[in-house]
Amino acid sequence: MKVAIDHELCTGHGRCYSLAPGVFAPDDDGYGMLIDDGRVPAGLESEARTAAINCPERAVTTSE
Amino acid sequence: MDTQGEYGASPFDRMDPETARHPQPMYKLLRDSMPVMRLEGAGVIISRRADIDQAFRHPEIFSSNMSAIDLKNVRPLIPLQIDPPDHKKFRKILDPLFAPKQVARLEQPVAKLVNELIDAFIERGDVDFAKEFSIPFPSQVFLTLLGLPLDDLPLFLAMKDGIIRPNHVVGTPPGSAEAEAHQREAANSIYAYFDTVLDEREIEGRDDLLTQFLHTEVDGQRLTRENILDICFLFLIAGLDTVTASLDCFFGYLAENPQRRQQIVDDPSIVPAAVEELLRWETPVTGVARVAMQGTVIAGCPVHNGEQVLILLGSANTDEAEWQDADDVRFEREDNRHLAFGGGIHRCLGSHLARLELRVALREWHRRIPQYSVKTGHTLDYTPGLRTLDTFPMVFEAAR
Repeated sequence: MKVAIDHELCTGHGRCYSLAPGVFAPDDDGYGMLIDDGRVPAGLESEARTAAINCPERAVTTSE
Repeated sequence: MDTQGEYGASPFDRMDPETARHPQPMYKLLRDSMPVMRLEGAGVIISRRADIDQAFRHPEIFSSNMSAIDLKNVRPLIPLQIDPPDHKKFRKILDPLFAPKQVARLEQPVAKLVNELIDAFIERGDVDFAKEFSIPFPSQVFLTLLGLPLDDLPLFLAMKDGIIRPNHVVGTPPGSAEAEAHQREAANSIYAYFDTVLDEREIEGRDDLLTQFLHTEVDGQRLTRENILDICFLFLIAGLDTVTASLDCFFGYLAENPQRRQQIVDDPSIVPAAVEELLRWETPVTGVARVAMQGTVIAGCPVHNGEQVLILLGSANTDEAEWQDADDVRFEREDNRHLAFGGGIHRCLGSHLARLELRVALREWHRRIPQYSVKTGHTLDYTPGLRTLDTFPMVFEAAR
């Protein structure tokens, strides 16, 4: 599974790295960044999906 | 005519107490019957999540500039009332100061503050939650953050109330000449207060935000004195009442819903999820104001150039088009794309700090005071718009 952040839409709510800290990390301004280029480590797929369905700006997407 | 006596949602100044207490049915009525509603003298109210998402994504049409809301400030508040592209350079300075990494350092002092406030009344078994907890708590966090003396608390409360609810303070209808004059005086006093403190910090710097502002640069240039005053003005009116309102709404809900409260007592690890769900359901800041920069159309309804547009966050957060079970309050909710902190480029700068304050308050409170209820014979009367309580008489049993 892979995740992506649309940085045009992201406004730094910070839900992704709070809910899926193994997949996303905050940058110094509090905006979400991908860990490992968006490759989701095995076992963290559900975490990654949770992040996607909790982004208020719909900036986070997952793909298989 | 200026009808804006409340920060955020002035059209609801005359809302009845039951609706102010439980606004969700009113939101549904608006979404179902008039999702774009023109209110004479107050602009257009939009209530559907899909329309609200669109408005937030188009700040070039729905601006948050000075025409969106008049708080008697003489220059645009920074960064809220600044349009792109300048908006970005101010957020670039301010975002890191309020990023989760920075805010996390406040966890210990915030927990200490919560416990000190609780210490003062825990032996009594009753408390006015508003007067002794939800009002002083965020204000003291703010004073600590800015490096200002706690003795200035009454002065701060008077200044922000003078801006946010001048009609409430002077006891006149919204928009009265007295209320307007009081609001203007409060605005002047805010500029004067921070100007004096900044003079002091110029002479002798300290380890606080105000000193930091004096040395901050944008594109190689220092922030001007006016820039800093315009930031401080916004902090004062945006950072205090919003957290107070959240606490009033959360504890009001939990006092009346013992099962949900017990969940927090039994499993404190649920607190972060409880905060998000209560932010969604209660939406303490019910709306945010914008102004149309051109004629446009929302859901088939024309909106005129220069018209004010009220974005009803509370309605977006309870829209069945987003959640089939929008009316269920569930801390286990998996998808919670709520907009309690607004959306788009003006997403609340202080959201990470607010979340920290709310989580720590819920965690520490329920550890020490697991049982509480509204004192018999009292009903909670929320101010509309920004949902705060003047008084919240509470009886409780402390943990043994």
